[in-house]
Formats: sequence, structure tokens, C-alpha cells
Amino acid sequence: MDNRMVSVAAEEPLIMGNQTFHAVTDTISKIIEGKTPKLWYLAISISGSVALMFFGLIGYLVWQGIGIWGLQIPVAWGWAIVNFVFWVGIGHAGTLISAILFLLRQRWRTSINRFAEAMTIFAVICAGVFPAIHVGRMWVLHWVFPLPNQMSLWPNFRSPLLWDFFAVGTYFTCSFLFWYLGLVPDLATLRDRATNKIKKIIFGILSIGWRGGNRQWKHYELAYLLLAGISTPLVLSVHSVVSTDFSVSILPGWHTTIFPPYFVAGAIFSGFAMVMTLAIITRKIFGLENFITVNHLEKMNKIMLVTGMMVGYAYSCEFFIAWYSGNIYEQFAFINRAFGPYAWAYWIMVTCNVAVPQIFWFKKLRRSVPVMFVATIFINIGMWFERFVIVVTSLSADFLPSSWGYFSPTKYDIGLLIGSFGLFFTLFLLFLRFLPMIAMSEVKGVLPQADPHHHGHDIANRRRDS
Amino acid sequence: MKMDQKTYSLTDPGSFGKIALILGIIGLAGCAAGYFVDPGRFFHSYLTAFSFWTTLGLGALFFLMLHHLTGATWSIVIRRIPESLMSVLPYMALFFIPIIFGMKELYHWSHPEIVAGDHLLQGKASYLNARFFIIRAVAFFVVWFFLSRILYKNSINQDSGSDGNLTDKLRKISAPGMILFAFTVTYAAFDWLMSMDAHWYSTIFGVYIFAGGLVSALAFFSITVISLQKNKVLETEITSEHYHDLGKLTFAFMIFWAYVAFSQYFLIWYANIPEETIWFDHRYQGGWKYATLLIVFGYFVMPFIILISRGAKRNLTLMRIMAFWLLFMHWLDLYWIIMPNHEHYRAMISWIDIAAMMGVGGIYLWLFWRKFSSNPIVPVGDARLGNSVNTISN
Repeated sequence: MDNRMVSVAAEEPLIMGNQTFHAVTDTISKIIEGKTPKLWYLAISISGSVALMFFGLIGYLVWQGIGIWGLQIPVAWGWAIVNFVFWVGIGHAGTLISAILFLLRQRWRTSINRFAEAMTIFAVICAGVFPAIHVGRMWVLHWVFPLPNQMSLWPNFRSPLLWDFFAVGTYFTCSFLFWYLGLVPDLATLRDRATNKIKKIIFGILSIGWRGGNRQWKHYELAYLLLAGISTPLVLSVHSVVSTDFSVSILPGWHTTIFPPYFVAGAIFSGFAMVMTLAIITRKIFGLENFITVNHLEKMNKIMLVTGMMVGYAYSCEFFIAWYSGNIYEQFAFINRAFGPYAWAYWIMVTCNVAVPQIFWFKKLRRSVPVMFVATIFINIGMWFERFVIVVTSLSADFLPSSWGYFSPTKYDIGLLIGSFGLFFTLFLLFLRFLPMIAMSEVKGVLPQADPHHHGHDIANRRRDS
Repeated sequence: MKMDQKTYSLTDPGSFGKIALILGIIGLAGCAAGYFVDPGRFFHSYLTAFSFWTTLGLGALFFLMLHHLTGATWSIVIRRIPESLMSVLPYMALFFIPIIFGMKELYHWSHPEIVAGDHLLQGKASYLNARFFIIRAVAFFVVWFFLSRILYKNSINQDSGSDGNLTDKLRKISAPGMILFAFTVTYAAFDWLMSMDAHWYSTIFGVYIFAGGLVSALAFFSITVISLQKNKVLETEITSEHYHDLGKLTFAFMIFWAYVAFSQYFLIWYANIPEETIWFDHRYQGGWKYATLLIVFGYFVMPFIILISRGAKRNLTLMRIMAFWLLFMHWLDLYWIIMPNHEHYRAMISWIDIAAMMGVGGIYLWLFWRKFSSNPIVPVGDARLGNSVNTISN
């Protein structure tokens, strides 16, 4: 057999501009080492103010109670839970990119994994705030921990809200460790490049004694693989658990068996949209077009097209089975969604999540940065509305028609949603300024120069003994 | 079995096809006997066998389209196996004919007098009626026929010359193919299996059947490759790296199946609505209780523990045993879905079950082998074949 490896013409290099190792280090480190751009100050002053408003509103909420929200029985869950599910979902793209794409040997992930992972962590932080403030008495929040106590008082282990706590807690811990582990070699690079003592000490501590020796790399790669393996089930489990908040109940529109995988697909979908929105802005401002190329963006668009259609599949499946079940309450719940008082929200959801991604069937649109930027914003909006539709339509028209009503948010609901974006962007801006936003060590690994057979050595030797 | 090392075609396809055909004919004769002895049992056994082999082919079709869509390299060298497997799908239309004749035994919604006295079934009658049921089945087979034919033909065309455009073309077919696949598999699962208990419903049921089919297809690939190598075919082209990748995917989708199965069970158990729990309750009566537990432990717990290590996926003897075991589990899973509708307490395998599996399976494997051995057994025209042979797994 013709046993030679061919490089297929269609495969463009992952990193453009024929970079050297040094150029990679330089380009990415200089963003952190150089002078802070004026635009950054402007951005963080806006997002920081919004984040301050967020904390202020939380303070007012604690003072006044959750009555300041638009909640009214039977709509006991309103925007807070919508925001929670929205933010947890956003995080999933980071874990998919860092864990699953790693296991699937998708090496293009190296350019985007670092800040996707960072985004995961910040999104989970934003998500965590909402259930915490929704409990009303957040000063006794520690009761959700199964802490031993004299009164033998335990949390209700059969409650999905408790599973949420464990699922999101595990998720945050694993994502953080994975992110930090990946950062260690880059932190060491920054330590070595540091020009003053304080930076040297800080990066020195953070890089936990990394010297880049052969042994260290060996351990590092094994640890990375293991963490990827551990994080992979988390991509599915976290949002599956979140979906049980709804699906273990007997409420029509909530209780349906497809919820766990449907939520996972939606989470990845919305997460990719958010990664794209951020990546498109960041690569433009910091001039990283050679690292995050249009090819990367195109691949992410394809993933959005796939997951968007999975979500569409779930919508249609739910609708069909609601009819097929012959259960009048199920049937009503779905007719009410599509044609009832919240029909506007339902059709925003369908348009943004199912119709908009269809533009990515066309290569031209898939590779056009302005088009995809607009599309990702639509998808972000659509995915927020998906959760709104699920939460509010089912609750507002429950089994007792006398209690039906129309849910309207108050200014505090709106303020907290906007505020959470402030917190998210503040954290993200701090990350951009103080940590390497692209994994330098990993990107070097995908440069053609990193391939020991770059100059055409015998390819058959590459096959590892096993 | 002998292979020409230059053209990669089998000069001597061996006796596998003949044996399969003979077993198939014996099995079909057994089926005929079964029909006269116990028609009710026969149709249920037959539907199980039919579903098993159809889902296997559908799993292969999915794997192949995924392979084209992702531009995967490692799987090029084994691509002819899924291609040949899914090429048998159109023939399954012929095997569907007995199910049409057995509708009265299999689906109680097909009895007008039962529907007349059942409020719920009246509501579903516009969907669950004999005519529309057959129209849908024809539609599914038409879709599968065109998909499998066009994918196979273009792949074979690629053998004659290294034409990069065909790789692109196969990808372009696969994208809309996936959408057609998702809807046909879902509604086939609803129609053929879920509607047996016509009152019961579950939105995830289509995904559940798809997941099982994919696991069995992956297991089948491992078995085929190992058997080929035992016969000194493709000895150097397929390495433990490929086995490792196959093993990883088998492991991953086995977990995916369990995840879907658990989602379905757990949400129904927790909500505890009688009209939904009854389905699982039927499968926890009498002997079915043991079948349920065997599926939980045999389809998830045990393979999970065994297959998790790297060594296990590269151990061909173990992989072969596990692949056969997973195929058996997929059959048991379908049996467990279908048979309690007929036998409410006794979960005993009858000779009719075996005859049906042999009958449908023998013919299926004969057709598979005929397809597989009629063309080069690796896609020799694919420009990236060399890369595939040199795959390095993690």
C-alpha cells in the first residue's frame, strides 16, 4: 500500500502567518505586558458600573425580600431561574471545547480553549448567584451543604435543587482545575519574561514551580488527559441535572423525558454563541486574526448549526408527543406556548434558535464575520427566551384556571439580568488583561514547526509501539 | 479467505457468506414453523429480530455520515464495513412485509373494535392507523434506500481514481442525510416499537433506539475487523490504534445509551404518573424483573468497569468478547421492549426467538458479506488512506 501520509490540500494551517515559536509567545504575552489600552479602561468602567449595580440590587433584594420581583403564585420561579439556566448553559461550550474536542483530537481547539474555559468559569459564577439570592434568606445558604449538626437536620436529598448545588459545585471545581492546569506552563513563561520583581513573584507562585522539564511535561499531559476524561461526563451531567429541576415535576411542558439531552444540546448551542460573540470582538481588538482564524470561526459555526438543529428536533418531538399522548393538559401546554399569551416569546425562541442558524448552511455566510456576529447575538437572545418560555408558560397556566395570570417582570428583574452581564464582562475583561487569553504552549504544538517530521522524515516511525 | 495486497479486493471471500445463507434459510424455515405453531409469539420474535438488524444498519449509516461530516481520518481504513452494513438496509423493506401481515398481533391500535371503545386511541387514530403506518414505513425505507445507495455508490466511484471532490460530495450528502436520518429513525422507533403499547409515550424514545443501534454497530465493526485479521486480512493496515479508537467510541456510546435509558426511567419513576410508570411496571413483573436487572448491569455497569481502561480497549480477545456481549445486550434490550407486550410474566427465550434471529440475521449477514467482498475492502481511492493507516490514538 501507498503508506505515505499526505497533507490534504483542503486543510489549511491552524495558525496563520507562518509564526515562529517566539512570535507566538511575543504576540500573546505583549497583550498582558504592554500598556493597558484606553479602550479597556472604557470597557471596564462600563461593565464595572453595571456589576456594581448588580451588587447593589442584590443588597436591596436581601433587604427587601424577593417580593420586589415579578413573582406571583403560581409563577414562583421567574427570571432568576431563567438567568440561572441561561448562564450555566453558556458555560458548557468551554467544557466541550476543552474536554470533548481534546479527546476527539480536534487540534483546532487550542486557539480558543483558554478563553472559552475562562468564560465557563465566569458564567458559572454568574449562574451561581441566582439560586443563592432566590432562596430568600441567603445568610443561611450553607444549609444546602449536608453539614452534620446536632438537630440531625439534613437537606432534602430528593430535591433536584440540591442536585443542582452538587452538580454546579462539581462543575465549577473541575472546570477551574482544568483551566488552571492548562495555564501553568503559560504562567511560567510570563514569570520568565517578567520585568519587575512583583510580577516575578506573583507569576512565580502561580506557576507552582514549573520548569518545563521532560518529566514535568509527561505528568502534565497525563493530568490533562485525565481531567479531560473527568470533565467529559460533566458536559452532559450538569445540564441534565439542571433539566431535572423541571422534568421530575408533573407539570405539563416540564415533564418530558427528552429534557436532559435537549438541555445539554441547548447549553452547548448557547455556549458556542457566547464564545463566538466574545472571540469575534477580542480577535479584532487585540489583532489576533492569525490565531483565531476564519477557519476556527467556521468550525464553531458548524457546531452551532448542528446543536441548533438538535434543539429544533427536541422542540418538534415535544410538540408531536404532546399531541400523541392524548393528554389534554399536555396538549394545552403546547398550544398555549405557541399561540397563547406568550406566543411572542415562543416565536422569538423558534426564530432565533432554529431559523437563524440555518444561514450557516452557506459557506459564504459561515465565513463572514459580520454575519456570524449578528447571528450569535440572535442565538444568545433566543436561548434566553427558550428558558423563559419553559419556565413561565408552564407555570403561569397551571391546573387551576382561576390562578392564571400574565407574568410581568419588574425593573429589579431586568436590572439583575443586565447586572449579571456586567459581572460577567468585568471578570472577562480582567482575565484578558492579566492572563494569557490564548494557550501559548498548546498553540506552539500545532505549528508546523512543532512536527518532528516537518521536514519529511520517515513517517512510518510515527506509529507508536503498543 | 484471501486478499490481493495490491488491489485490496478479496480474491477468495471464504465460506462466511455461504454459512450465513444456509443458517438464514434454516432460520426462515424455523420462522415459518413458528408462525404455524404460535403466530402471536412468532410476530413478536420476528419484530425483535427485524429491529435488531435494522438498528444495526442504521447505526452503521449514522457512523458513516458522521465520518464524512467530521472529515475523520482514522476511520477511513475501516469505512467499507459500515458502508456494506448500511447497504443492506433497503433489503430490510422486504423483511418488513411480514410485520404488515402481523399488525393485528403486534399493534392493538390496528383493531377498529378496540379503538372504538378506547377514548385515547380514538384521539391518535389519525396517526395510528394501518394505512398511514404503511405509508410511513415506505417513506422510511425510501429515505434509507436513497441515502445508503448514494453514499455507497460515490464511495465505490472514488476507488477508480483519487478524486478529492468525491470526499466533498460525500460530506455534502451526509449533512442533509443526518436530518433525514434523525426524523426517520425517531418516527420508526415511535411507530414500530413505542406504539405497541399505544397508550404510553416518551419523547426520548427515538434517541434511545438510535443510541442502542449505534452501540451495536460499533461493536459489530470491532468483531468484523478482528475476524478479518484472524484470517490474515488487513493485518498491517489496521493497528491497535484503530482498535483503541473503536473501543473508545463503543465505550462512550455505551455510556450515552445508559444516559438516555436512565433519563427515560428516572424522570418517569420520579414523577410517578401511573400512565407512564405502567410501562416499566410491566417490565418488572415475573421473569421480566430479571431481564430488567440484567440490562442495567449487563448493558452498563459491567461493560463500564471492564472497558474503562486503556489496556482493555487494546486487548483484542477481550474486545471481541465484549463486542459480542454488547450485541447480545442490544438484542435483549429490544426483546425487553417488545416481548412483555405478548408474554406478561414469563421471560423465557423460545426457539422461535432464535429462529427469527437466525433467519433475518443469516440473510442480513449474507447480503453484508456479498457487498463487502464484491469491492476493495478498503477505500483505495481516498487520498487520506495513508494517514488513516498511520493513525495514532491517545
